[in-house]
Amino acid sequence: MRFRLKVNGEAREADVPLGTTLLGVLRDDLGLTAARYGCGHGACGACYVLMDGKAIAACMTRVEEAPGKNITTVEGLAKDGHLHPVQHAFIEEDAMQCGYCISGMLISSAALLSETPHPSDAQIRKALAPHLCRCGVYLRAVRAVKRAAQ
Amino acid sequence: MNPGARRWGERPPERVEQRIVIEADGTVVARSGKVEYGQGIRTGFAKIVAEELAVPFERVRVELGETDRVPWDMGTFGSMSTSVDGKSLRAAATYARNLLVERASAHFGKAASELSVRNGCVFAADGRAVSYQELTAQAPLTGLVTEGSASPAPAGSVEDKPLRLEASDIVTGKARYAADVRLPGMLRGHVLQPPFQGAKLVRVNDETAGQVPGVTKVVKDGDFVGIVAERDEQALTAVRLLDAEWAPGEAAKMQPIDLMLRKDEGVEAAFATAAIRLDARYHVPHIAHASIGPNASVADVGDDGADLYVATQRPFALRDMVAGMFQLPPDQVRIHPQVMGGMYGRGNAGDSAIEAARLSRAVGRPVLVQWTREEEFRLSPCRPTLDAELRAGLDENGVLIGWRYDVRTNFHTYDASATLPPGVLEMTSGRNAVPPYRLGSAEVQLHVELAALRTGAYRSLAAAPNVFAIESFLDELAFASRQDPIAFRLRMIEDPRLRHVLDTVRDRSGWNSRPRDRGRGFGAACAIYHGTYIAEVAEVRVSADGLVRLERAWAAVDPGRLVHPDGARNQIESGIQQAASWTLLEELKHRDGEVTTTTWREYPIATVHDAPSEIDVVFTGRLDAPSTGVGEPGSVAAAGAIANAVFEATGIRVRRLPLTPANVMAAR
Repeated sequence: MRFRLKVNGEAREADVPLGTTLLGVLRDDLGLTAARYGCGHGACGACYVLMDGKAIAACMTRVEEAPGKNITTVEGLAKDGHLHPVQHAFIEEDAMQCGYCISGMLISSAALLSETPHPSDAQIRKALAPHLCRCGVYLRAVRAVKRAAQ
Repeated sequence: MNPGARRWGERPPERVEQRIVIEADGTVVARSGKVEYGQGIRTGFAKIVAEELAVPFERVRVELGETDRVPWDMGTFGSMSTSVDGKSLRAAATYARNLLVERASAHFGKAASELSVRNGCVFAADGRAVSYQELTAQAPLTGLVTEGSASPAPAGSVEDKPLRLEASDIVTGKARYAADVRLPGMLRGHVLQPPFQGAKLVRVNDETAGQVPGVTKVVKDGDFVGIVAERDEQALTAVRLLDAEWAPGEAAKMQPIDLMLRKDEGVEAAFATAAIRLDARYHVPHIAHASIGPNASVADVGDDGADLYVATQRPFALRDMVAGMFQLPPDQVRIHPQVMGGMYGRGNAGDSAIEAARLSRAVGRPVLVQWTREEEFRLSPCRPTLDAELRAGLDENGVLIGWRYDVRTNFHTYDASATLPPGVLEMTSGRNAVPPYRLGSAEVQLHVELAALRTGAYRSLAAAPNVFAIESFLDELAFASRQDPIAFRLRMIEDPRLRHVLDTVRDRSGWNSRPRDRGRGFGAACAIYHGTYIAEVAEVRVSADGLVRLERAWAAVDPGRLVHPDGARNQIESGIQQAASWTLLEELKHRDGEVTTTTWREYPIATVHDAPSEIDVVFTGRLDAPSTGVGEPGSVAAAGAIANAVFEATGIRVRRLPLTPANVMAAR
């Protein structure tokens, strides 16, 4: 089935079976691989994308829910060649090791800051809580979001 | 040359051109068989080479693990990349610098002692300069790297700021993990997995599975059954529709292997005369690597050999495995390490790479296989269990005079056999079983046996479980003899570097003036891990129903000469964070060898809510001491420190991990 999507500000089309996950469409049909598979149950946060500004698990979202919505992936966070403040801040704090979970963390951080430009520590932790990081860079990630908010 | 014939850690002499190449635009290529999986070794190597060759850091391009280009390497594990390969790279870079200065000496007609290097050029005293690329345009650098050419430590301190070569690609989504590789004509695959280790396939019916839309081929080869399809979800749907019957295989049998790691005279006599004698048993369960990215590989097997785009800790071993399987010469198998998700030992097994290679060969097109989360929990090798029996005797002055450590565990290597080269079991399953203390008369015995689950390498191997049992038991001894836990340890330590990290962490954590509230406690532990000295203090809070929260942690670490301070700090912090997760939350459960915890709900790991408010890391290494590793040491001492803090907070000694409310309350 043919679906018309708006991803990172561009009109895109995908011809996929009904019920295909948004994650599958992004990664396998649109070539956007920053959102990653981690569990397929929405329990690890590796696949998060923005849908109309809200951070959601793309592995739990069917493609038929996407038309008419603005989808943003990490590939679309930078604007006019400038990194988003959270992207800068994660580099500045070296808030990463292997990086597999970082796309998801960036998405949730961007969603948090657009709603709450000056979040408390508790609000930052709440926003990052869906994102499992096995390397364990949580404290650096919290610092990075705080830095981005400044 | 047969790489398998080499002994652990043995390295042949190297030629400079295997390691360092100056390109026409001045780029310095540095090559290593190690791989990068988040530990920052690419950045560390670039810093080493930039330092020795006096070139800007950005001008160094590090090539890692590409088997057709880099020197042979056993694998990336044991926190040895900096200490071993970093040393080789440093020697090669120094050798290259000396060659460049020699050539410049001829070029200028000046003595080498009158020349200096900076910014990728050799300078004469009169200000004339010649670039490295000019010096190598006619003849590339060549020669056998001689020993002992490593440079003296630089004056002053090493620059300490966050820096990661991959950072920009990671935050923009450009980083390509194996599961992100897209080759023309690539298909997707999934394999029928046995329900438990050693199960034998009796029969399989693929009629329904083969009819799933998108399925290209059902590949059958003995017990190996796989589906190749246009889309991942199609292959997965089809593999789940395979109607298979399994029987228990011939259960692998092996007598436990008993090894005596230390046996002094007079152990029994020491116990007989002891003023205080203590016995205890400790248990550590299986845990999962739980990497966030499940194992994934792309294989492209054709007439000219095999290309594998993978995450692996052992590129050359994987190359030889695939070459053996297809009966190809090793140089026709090319391993291309991609950006890798965290490994923690997981990447020593072939798994999806072998599956992808077999499927690709069957269909003649590239195939991507990524394991599901369930497969990852169910089938990937896990950390062995530990069962330790300890006995110790103290004299009337509270000095340790007798020690016995009898420990039972499984294979921490991937070759679970009695035919491992001599010394390997002691180094792996026996790692850190002999503590760095004056023990009196001591006996340390190791028993290695097969587990019902598939076991393998896990960050620090047996060190973290051994150090948990030993450091917990030392606290029991300190308590029984009314001594401060850190002072008690210091009485038994001769090594000044270990004394120094313990002293330092005591001061940093405010140990001597720590609050003594009910439900709140501090605990300490220390270790020497592959030449790195580490001492940690943990502060915990324990609720009335036994819920443990890590509030803060401190670490003092001596890894010798630091290469990249903030990178090292990141490693120690995260080692503590990951080990806190093992210690407080994790147990891979199984029934008769069938894993029952196969989702994040059943196998929770630490989230940001579980992270402490602070992890304080201080380095005490000297610039003139050789560099040692930092990837694993942070994780080694954490469980002991946390369990000891729980005891101080509650008076409850929990001798079984994890320190869940149920296990804490059961130990009352």
